[in-house]
Amino acid sequence: MQAGSKIWRTGWLMLALCGQHGLAQTSVNPDISVIPRFIIQTHDRAGKFSRPDYAFEELEIVMQAYLNPFSKADVVFTLPGPDLEESKLGIEELYASVVCGLPFGLNLRFGKYRVDYGKLNLAHPHAWPFVTQPLSQERFLGEEGLNDLGLSASVLLPTGNIYTKLTVDLLRGEAIGETTGIADTTGGQPAYANSARLTGFFTLTEHSDLEVGLSGYTGIHDPYQRRRFYYGNVDFKYKYRPSSYNSLVVQGEYLFNSRTAQQDRDFNPLLNAQGNPESRSIHSSGLYLYADYQFKKIYSLGGRYDWSQTPYSKDDKASAVTIFFGYYPVEETLGLRLHYQNTKPAAAESVNFVALQVLFSLGPHKAHPF
Amino acid sequence: MKRIFLFILFSFFSIAAAKVRVVTTLADLADFTRQIGGNRVQVDFIVRGDQNPHFVEVKPSYMLKLKSADIFFMIGMELEMWAPQIIDGSRNTKLTVVDLSKNIRKMEVPGRVDASQGDVHRFGNPHYWLDPRNVRPMLEEMLAAISKVSPTDEPYFRANAAAYLKKLDGKIAAWENRMKPFAESRVITFHKSWPYFANWLRLVVADQVEPKPGIPPSPSHTAELIALVRQGGIKAIIVEPFYDASAAAQIARSTNAKVIRLTTSVGGVPQSGKDYITMMDYNIATLAATLR
Repeated sequence: MQAGSKIWRTGWLMLALCGQHGLAQTSVNPDISVIPRFIIQTHDRAGKFSRPDYAFEELEIVMQAYLNPFSKADVVFTLPGPDLEESKLGIEELYASVVCGLPFGLNLRFGKYRVDYGKLNLAHPHAWPFVTQPLSQERFLGEEGLNDLGLSASVLLPTGNIYTKLTVDLLRGEAIGETTGIADTTGGQPAYANSARLTGFFTLTEHSDLEVGLSGYTGIHDPYQRRRFYYGNVDFKYKYRPSSYNSLVVQGEYLFNSRTAQQDRDFNPLLNAQGNPESRSIHSSGLYLYADYQFKKIYSLGGRYDWSQTPYSKDDKASAVTIFFGYYPVEETLGLRLHYQNTKPAAAESVNFVALQVLFSLGPHKAHPF
Repeated sequence: MKRIFLFILFSFFSIAAAKVRVVTTLADLADFTRQIGGNRVQVDFIVRGDQNPHFVEVKPSYMLKLKSADIFFMIGMELEMWAPQIIDGSRNTKLTVVDLSKNIRKMEVPGRVDASQGDVHRFGNPHYWLDPRNVRPMLEEMLAAISKVSPTDEPYFRANAAAYLKKLDGKIAAWENRMKPFAESRVITFHKSWPYFANWLRLVVADQVEPKPGIPPSPSHTAELIALVRQGGIKAIIVEPFYDASAAAQIARSTNAKVIRLTTSVGGVPQSGKDYITMMDYNIATLAATLR
């Protein structure tokens, strides 16, 4: 009886609090956005296109809010496709950022997040003007991009009228293990990784800007032999926007990889001409370059060129040419993207891929910065 | 010893001559700041007059402007939805952010807001600076903020503000006289930018070219507007410089109405000059000539 009365009292107290602070509650709730992507796709094999497949691609749920006057928190849940009913909701990003109050304008971030490495890595796929990830990004950073558990610090450098930012990350080091290194680290010691990025933003004219960036990333790709790999990355983004109806974006990245390995990514030993295991120095690279022209506010048309080797082989090359068209009838709340890509692997026939992606954005997900 | 003395003297005068650094969202607010602060403020702004203040790209260069600022003046009422990202990106912990809508009598405050209504602002229509009678409460807020940063200059700032408001009062009377014959005239506007302006001059905004705020004009809505303009004898279709005027031009071609480019901000069109009074002079003269 006493327990029942306690529950009632608690219930009434909660109701009273909700009544008193109903309005305040809405203002402290985080901003919540839901961004699903659907895709109809087909590709050719031996000259014949497959039957177009209509699939759920991914759902992104974004929650953002201030924790207090000095810090914010972001959570990005993703539900991967294609099986909408069976797939599990995962955490793509979960981090807190201290955005003010620290000396020298220092910003700190901790948790799991997309690492400030290169230009495209920070953008979620729904913000890309095309449907597929560039080959160099997929091969060197993995399908999910460079996204890891870590601690990040950034400062603005005193460079006068040029915005210059330096970001340094200490990372868990498992972000790109599955793609570019040995995923099974059970026998090894922790494989911490480090990343750094320096960006400069230049206002060229009243209507055009240029951002250039230099990034570096190093980690352990072989936890048993403690072998390191090193990535270097140069990127740029140029934007010309004479009005809110027209714009031109040109963006590109070049990534360079250096590592010493005894095994390839599938644990097969690397052999010399005599068939004996050898330790090999591998230097490989990849790049993409795209242009996207927005016209009449709601349309965009662009093209992309990809060329890439792989982290463990200079000979495993591929290139791709892509044409994409976007239609955004009402701002960014609804988008349709038509994508054609011709991919030419080194030792195989080229593949044509055609896709129509439909996405919508429910909620106040903020615009991605320049 | 002489060098040390000169250094101390130079440092003293540098500090004494330090200006209040102000950044504003709109060019109009930069003009008001200059009127109050004279040569004792250093002012910059984010949105050019020919840019749509609702949609501004978050550029690092804007963060840099705010990095060393003392005060950031904004219109508020969610006009500048992009501002928080720029404020955060500036990393300026000493920045005072002043929302100038605090003492404004707000119009078109919606009961319930969702995206089906287009880009409706939760706290009401934010284009209040286009009624020049609202400049007084805005200037009072600005004066208080600037004086707080530089209290010794408060008498100077206060005198400047009073002189400007006196000049503005004279202009308001002249503008009202000029527009008196056109009271109750019906106009079409492209976007809901003009309710404060229309309310001040007793104009009637019959409809907008946008079917809903932020939603591009549709053929059926354009056809409805053509009928409305014909029936109502509407003479003016007001389009801001940053909107595509083709739908408005289509309506004008089918009717006797004229498309006019009125600017919501200083510098929106070359004839609107570099200050608020010149801009309003241009808007009033252009509208009066069309309604005549």
